[in-house]
Amino acid sequence: MIGFDIVGFIISWLTLFGIYAILSLTLNMESGVSGVTNFGKVVFYGIGAYISATLTTYLILMLNGVDIVENPPYNINGVILLGELGSKNPVLNIGLFILSVFLSFIVAGFVGYLLSYPILRVGPEFVGFTLLSTGELLRIFLLHFEPVGASKGLMAIPNPLGWIPDSRVRETLYLIVILAFLALTYTVMKRLLNSPLGRTLKSVRDDETAALCMGKHVPKIKALVLFIGSGFTGVAGTLLSYYFTSVNPNMFVPSVTFNAWAMIILGGMGNLTGSLLGAALITLVDRLLTFITPLLGITVISPDYVRWIIIGLLIVVVLIVNPRGILPEKPIKTPALQQVEEELKK
Amino acid sequence: MVNFLQYIFFYTVFSLPLTLSYRTTKVINFVHANFITYGAYTAVFLHGVLGNSSIVIAAFLAFVIVGGMAVLDNLLVFTQLQKRGSSPAMVMISSMGLWIAYRYLLYVLTDIMHFYTSKNFVSYGRITYSDIPSISLAEFNLSQAFIASMVATILVVSSLYLILEKTRMGRAMRAISDNATLAEISGIPRNLVINLTWFLCGGITAVGGVLWTSFSGAITPEAGDSMILQVFTIGFIGGLASLLRTSIGAIIIAFMENIGIAFLNTYLGVPVSFRPFLTFIALLTTLILFPPLGAGGGLPYRFRKRGLSQ
Amino acid sequence: MSNILEVRDVAKFFGGIRALDGVTLSIPHKGLVGLIGPNGSGKTTLFNVITGFYVPDRGSVWFRESNSMVRIDGLNPNEVFRKGIVRTFQTPRLFNSLTVLENLLVTPVNQIGENVAKALYVKSWREQEIELSKKALGLLKTFGMLPYVNSRISELSVSHMKMLETMRGLMTPAKLYLLDEPTAGVDYSMARELFTYIKRLRDEQNLSFLIIEHRIEILMEFVDYVYVLHNGRLLSEGKPNEVTSDPKVIEAYIGA
Repeated sequence: MIGFDIVGFIISWLTLFGIYAILSLTLNMESGVSGVTNFGKVVFYGIGAYISATLTTYLILMLNGVDIVENPPYNINGVILLGELGSKNPVLNIGLFILSVFLSFIVAGFVGYLLSYPILRVGPEFVGFTLLSTGELLRIFLLHFEPVGASKGLMAIPNPLGWIPDSRVRETLYLIVILAFLALTYTVMKRLLNSPLGRTLKSVRDDETAALCMGKHVPKIKALVLFIGSGFTGVAGTLLSYYFTSVNPNMFVPSVTFNAWAMIILGGMGNLTGSLLGAALITLVDRLLTFITPLLGITVISPDYVRWIIIGLLIVVVLIVNPRGILPEKPIKTPALQQVEEELKK
Repeated sequence: MVNFLQYIFFYTVFSLPLTLSYRTTKVINFVHANFITYGAYTAVFLHGVLGNSSIVIAAFLAFVIVGGMAVLDNLLVFTQLQKRGSSPAMVMISSMGLWIAYRYLLYVLTDIMHFYTSKNFVSYGRITYSDIPSISLAEFNLSQAFIASMVATILVVSSLYLILEKTRMGRAMRAISDNATLAEISGIPRNLVINLTWFLCGGITAVGGVLWTSFSGAITPEAGDSMILQVFTIGFIGGLASLLRTSIGAIIIAFMENIGIAFLNTYLGVPVSFRPFLTFIALLTTLILFPPLGAGGGLPYRFRKRGLSQ
Repeated sequence: MSNILEVRDVAKFFGGIRALDGVTLSIPHKGLVGLIGPNGSGKTTLFNVITGFYVPDRGSVWFRESNSMVRIDGLNPNEVFRKGIVRTFQTPRLFNSLTVLENLLVTPVNQIGENVAKALYVKSWREQEIELSKKALGLLKTFGMLPYVNSRISELSVSHMKMLETMRGLMTPAKLYLLDEPTAGVDYSMARELFTYIKRLRDEQNLSFLIIEHRIEILMEFVDYVYVLHNGRLLSEGKPNEVTSDPKVIEAYIGA
């Protein structure tokens, strides 16, 4: 274990954890709590990432007076220019970051809302497939759409903290930014869950028809959930694009969605803390694998394949053996519980 | 034109079993994509490792192996979940888990085979079989793939028709798809019939996969996955219930993907690689206009307001 | 006497089967009306038509809103609920992974905390939540189900489920209750207690009820009017004693 960079390991793990935890939290809100089987998490993630990547690279070049027709960010000159210009102006970098987060939320959320139109008509069993194929379509589109770099993607996306010279400090600060967004997402989701709205969402999941009979506007509720969940997913995409400072279509394969699913199933559907736990466990194993794989030397079987087989089987086995996951769902916490306690004490 | 017919054959063989398996078992089965790929790879491994060049042997073995795989999935996973009272959505999620596992298991297998034979199995060339004739009709040269898939499609469609309409097994399958509980009460061995359905569906799809190896230029472990959009859309057009409508769906999608895109390409300059978008539009149109479970997906909710005469 | 609900010549066909064929009935304001008939006579289908599950193939359904009758057939179930009609199901459809208390708290309308923005601020909905939970606890106490307040639905007996479903309806401000076999599986004394309570609600809170019930002996004791359905048509109607002595009704029940 010579040269095992423990700090670097922890930073990269927590960064990935932060991004994936936002995915798993929102997925849990959509699928675990509200019963919208979202197999297309990656759509909104990809939209968020590409919006921030496109916006930042084009705007940085334009604001620095580069002719983007001649030197678009996806060709080699553009990439070099981005490298030179990208980290000069901290205010611009941070400003673009905030703008990206905002836009990603709105656009991803809006796409989620629009997609709810056809899928609400098909019932929970077909929602999954429709969203899954939407994800593949998005990828095919990105693969062939020249302005966002087609199959090469966009590179040298300036990190909002790119002006900090020391990479360790920069990584740590960016990690804090990510964890702050995670904390925000967690707080919002937790509050939404532990409210009358959360109760309504769960009732829709349990029995749509009965919920409809109790006056709940089921289609509207599902569209709302997709809007919120997708919006936050878009933000996760933004965070990802700045972390890797590059995006390409092959980062947004259905596997991303499956990862998030494995996390919420392992952690416990309907339990937000469980999603955090699931995300932490799976990203930890992933990071360990990437650190350990080079130490194993070349083997016949790629550890990456084995990892995916395990993820797939994990989903199946948890569903069969312990469908409620490590941390089972709990009743929602509202002031009503105190009333109950008082009443029971009498 | 020949390609158009060719794709009709493939899509029919791929999607009829999907419709049949959903309507009998009510499981949205993502492993269906693996059925195609595993069928293809049965042929690939037989060819690349054992030197087999008979499509009949390959098809037979693929039928048995993948059919068995489908039955195992049902016994070990779907039935277990249904016994526990899991919702259909959970069963679907488990099928997604299986899909991932199978997909990468195949990658592992190709790696192992590569280790022993040094052949590239991750992108395997078209297989030329010794037991299919190629026929020249006037100016047309009918390829092996065309003849094989035509014969197979005719066989599959006619035997499915015979099984469903003329045998007790077929009647039992239809009874279960109409009302499973009632069928069970009236003495139909439900589990046996469902397992047989899975065997049949897995097997037929795998034969489709074998045919694919005689057509596709490069066979990859994601061959089935790349067709899942088309196959499911066709199934949805068939309402996941009607085999006849599924076949019509196969024709529609094959038409859009071959003739439709060629037309758009010539006149509007749409790149051919945007072909899946046409299928996606077909999918959305189907979902909005002819939802498989009725408007609202079984929810008694009507999106279109009926004019009320006061 | 003003009617709260009027069903006018409603017909509903499924394929070639006539589930309902020209049914006309009305429920007076503060009415406690029974609906009986053999299995498959169309009782539940009628409920489904009234509550917007199905659009009738013929005829119309009208509901009193302030001082005029409005047409409600063709509305969606949630809209029918908003008008003031709540229903229960033959096999209880509760929210199975929620607790008893949560099941009761889901249904009240106009909950502030159901709004996304306001859900985030506990303060904005705290008071309403406490008020509603007091109401729910009061109901649970009345029916002796307080010990189960935090139980999941899967831990309840069938009779408790049936009671809870009726109670869930009572948490709403509905004016008309459609109860589908509220006492199926409930023991005799509890069933009587439930009907007594329903009668009291009718008197004290001016509610109206339409009740499907197979336990005719209890039903007849409490309701003031009965409709009998048979093969999708009205076979008979009248005061309980009139109906029970109607030879057509006796024949239908023995024949079925």
